[in-house]
Amino acid sequence: MTIGVLVDLMLALALVGLSLRVVTGRALFRDIVLFILFGLVIALSWSRLGAPDLALAEAAIGAGLTGALMLMAYRRLVAGGAEDVAPRRRPPLLAVPVAVLTGALVALIGLAALGVERVPDAAGTIVLEELGASGLGNAVTAVLLVFRGLDTMLEMAVLLVALLGAWAVLGEVHPGRLHQVDRRTPLVGALLTTVAPVTLLIAVHLLLAGTDAPGGAFQAGAVLTGCGVLLVLTGTVRPRAAAGLATKLLVIAGLAAFVMIGASAVALGRAPMSLPGTWAVYLIETAMMLSIAVTMTLLFARARALEPERA
Amino acid sequence: MSSFLILSALVLLGTIGAGLVRVSRGPSAADRMLCAQLFGTTGVAVLLLLAQAYERPALRDVALIFAILASLVIAVFVKHAAIHRQGDDGG
Repeated sequence: MTIGVLVDLMLALALVGLSLRVVTGRALFRDIVLFILFGLVIALSWSRLGAPDLALAEAAIGAGLTGALMLMAYRRLVAGGAEDVAPRRRPPLLAVPVAVLTGALVALIGLAALGVERVPDAAGTIVLEELGASGLGNAVTAVLLVFRGLDTMLEMAVLLVALLGAWAVLGEVHPGRLHQVDRRTPLVGALLTTVAPVTLLIAVHLLLAGTDAPGGAFQAGAVLTGCGVLLVLTGTVRPRAAAGLATKLLVIAGLAAFVMIGASAVALGRAPMSLPGTWAVYLIETAMMLSIAVTMTLLFARARALEPERA
Repeated sequence: MSSFLILSALVLLGTIGAGLVRVSRGPSAADRMLCAQLFGTTGVAVLLLLAQAYERPALRDVALIFAILASLVIAVFVKHAAIHRQGDDGG
């Protein structure tokens, strides 16, 4: 399969070239566009390497959401008087030895990785052997929820802490539209009526597919965040002064579902964090998707809560 | 058949490489952004070809995400362009 090798070679060249341009470039806007392309090429590379779960996450988070976030940050920077093109500066002398040593380290790790022998009872092998007992068809979801459920629960806690931190430094929010959008423009309506429902559909599809095929709560949550950001951008929702009960419940839903099901296992005399069945996987994943999407949309909008804008 | 599909994917990847010139040269921000959008579309095509060639249906979901989130990025860009129009010739 020599053509496949050519595809790999091309992807590898594009990755190295793009990352060099992104790091060394001096024009902000061009480098943001190149960073989005970098995310797309990484997603293609993961697809080619046979890791569609990672490709899904990279396409949604790396290329889509991070790209949108960077463009928003760029707008604020330029509005605040920042220059789009940075002046040319000589790199500090220390940069050369640091670059050489880092390159040597990467080469060393690469060479060492080539010589590593496959351990017969490695964690990955055990997961694949025990996959049938978990009742799930997708090994990644099985690891996230069944084998390493505690780690995933703590990830949800990290997300919650990030939101609480953002709220703490947010200051007072003045209710009102985030962005002045002329909603009579036909394009805004068309964007909302076509893209928003399709985004919702894809998110639910990824969530349901996640138990047996690549997908799951994180990818679904990221896609759903795209829908939320679209609503914020088009001025369909506006910030509220304080978070109501619904927002608070949505934000803690993922962590709460994990804790309740994990703790009830102890009460019923089973191992801590063991899941009672596939329905628990669906329940936790749905709660996680909602929490991820609401948290990230609130972070995007710099808001404590959002409510529909009445036209 | 599968090698024909991979060959097509290779050609499409080549067009992405050629398009990188437009992103680098610009000259306007819209040129760069539209080029990135076209890459998204090409990426969808590459993923669909790879999904068929290697019989990995999950790659079609990746293509779906490429397609849907490209519209989000362009929406953010258009809002930016409406507010700040004079900074088009950056870089």
